[in-house]
Amino acid sequence: MAKQEPILKAEDLSKRYEDGVLAVDHLNLDVHPGEVYCLLGANGAGKTTTVNLFLNFIPPTTGTCFIKEIDVTKDPLEAKKYVSFVSENVMLYGNFTARQNLDFFAKLGGKLELSKEDYHQVMRRVSLQERAFEQRVKNFSKGMRQKLGISIAIIKDAPAILLDEPTAGLDPKAAAEFLEILNELKDEGKAILMSTHDIFRAKEIADRVGIMKEGRLVMERTREELQYEDLVKIYIDYMRAEPLTV
Amino acid sequence: MFWSIARKEIVSNLLSYKFFVVILLTAVLIFTSFFIMHRDYKQRLSDYHLIKPKPDEPIAVIPPNPLSIFVKGLDDAMTRSFEISVIGVDVRAGQESGNIIFSFFSAPDFIYIVRVVLSLVALLFGFDQVSREKEKGTLKLMLANPLSRAKVLSGKWMGNFLSLAIPFLLVTLLGFVLLIFDPDIYFSSGDLFRLAVILFISLIYIALFLSLGILISTLTKKAAASIVILLFIWAIVVFVIPNLGTLLARQIVDIPSVRALSEKREQIWTREVLLIYEDKDRIAHFQTIHDDMDKLEEDYRNKFSRLIKLSKNINRISPVASFIYAVTEIAGTGIGEEDCLKRDIIRYKNNIFQDVVINKKEYPAFNYRYRSLSQIFVQGALFDSAWLIFFVILFFALSYFAFVRYDVR
Repeated sequence: MAKQEPILKAEDLSKRYEDGVLAVDHLNLDVHPGEVYCLLGANGAGKTTTVNLFLNFIPPTTGTCFIKEIDVTKDPLEAKKYVSFVSENVMLYGNFTARQNLDFFAKLGGKLELSKEDYHQVMRRVSLQERAFEQRVKNFSKGMRQKLGISIAIIKDAPAILLDEPTAGLDPKAAAEFLEILNELKDEGKAILMSTHDIFRAKEIADRVGIMKEGRLVMERTREELQYEDLVKIYIDYMRAEPLTV
Repeated sequence: MFWSIARKEIVSNLLSYKFFVVILLTAVLIFTSFFIMHRDYKQRLSDYHLIKPKPDEPIAVIPPNPLSIFVKGLDDAMTRSFEISVIGVDVRAGQESGNIIFSFFSAPDFIYIVRVVLSLVALLFGFDQVSREKEKGTLKLMLANPLSRAKVLSGKWMGNFLSLAIPFLLVTLLGFVLLIFDPDIYFSSGDLFRLAVILFISLIYIALFLSLGILISTLTKKAAASIVILLFIWAIVVFVIPNLGTLLARQIVDIPSVRALSEKREQIWTREVLLIYEDKDRIAHFQTIHDDMDKLEEDYRNKFSRLIKLSKNINRISPVASFIYAVTEIAGTGIGEEDCLKRDIIRYKNNIFQDVVINKKEYPAFNYRYRSLSQIFVQGALFDSAWLIFFVILFFALSYFAFVRYDVR
């Protein structure tokens, strides 16, 4: 079967900040439907900058991000119709209940006709406890907030999902539950790009893993290749290696 | 999407303690103000009935303006009793507020509450609109959707404006309904219309401070930094500039003191009185006193007008001054109205001199007609209202440009 066109694609993408730091350096990557791509790297490697570039939060210095073949810089509003986002620390609106938060972000995502039951269904899917549906989010644990964050991504029903360190700070059980949901979304055909520090989780879920160092994608491995290689060792070797010359 | 954001802001405000505390404070202040100013008005009205001149008395005095309950302005000064004599106009204490506390603190009228308290409240609603969302990370979540920044900003603006405007109007309306139960107070349809215009301008004023709050919020990364900057600007705009303008104008326009003017009047009087005893044509001497006094006072009035005009123009750097000028003029308690009243009193004095002293007729009664709204707008209120609207648009436009460049990360 021919491989489908990538939903997320970065072409020769670079970002140099005003202070001169080159956060992303000629990055090329693509994520296909039904694929999870994990970006690994130390702090400041350029993972979050890559996610921010896909969301047009910052303009690229060179290169282009495409979401469903739409140039993110040229037509950001059209491109954002096809992408959901889950951040590292989903804070949401503390005074709103889980359902109210979900309703607000669903409307922003263009889902105007959803019923209370639709919201409850999505929250059940991410294993959020029933009693939490109508509770104010300010009393939620981080795990509960992350689940609500992924509910927001699910309800938008976009073909691509960007996740920025979504399992950071989660306990092992919550992180495992979170990855289970991601696996389901992958099976539904979503293209998932996740930046993370967590090598073990990345190995567990990723179809492809890319290691970023000083803005460059220094290594890429598929799930099949990683069956014969030790990702932890590869990662540590890259991190210990001499700094890259610019 | 615009209304989704506006609705979110309204619900968010309704669910916050800040909103209830602020609305409760506003309600308490407005009701207290109506109560105090209503008592003050009734006292001054009863004083007016006591000092109201009889038909044969050369005294110009007007009743207190019922709109002074909301906008006190210069109503105390305007409702003094002006006694006409050959040498000029003597001002008596008249119906000044009996409440001595007003000497220490400004009259706590409705407009004072809007000017000082509601401007601060509007800033409190606006100061963290963008920076707080950035801190919480919700700005990134919002902008990850197909949503323009213009819609986010305008939705936030509208939601917060309605959160402020609706309770403000309801509280004011409730207070007003309680006032009109008093049979001693009569508001004409013209007064009601003027009050509606004053409320409308108050809403523009609130919108201005809300826009300023949002602007600073888009220029800072932390809500704590926003509030410090805004408090500084608020103090400058509300308290410093409106006083600074008057001080500066006094340095530029040379105007004699009231005492010097009084001395000069005494000199004219003494000079002519001595001549009256030596001359049979007393009327001619009275005419000279009258003419010299008029010239002296006109010269003073012209200088004073220049001073006022310059002060007003300098003060207009702050939109707060424009707000005060617009609403006081519309209420009929402003500088322009007082000037018209004084000119009418001088005309009345001249008529008395002509009719009573020269033509031996009876004293005419003094009647004063307040300027119409159209005159008030043409003579300055339109400019001041437009100036306020300009600031709202300017602050919002600047917020938009800052927000488009805002680093949401």
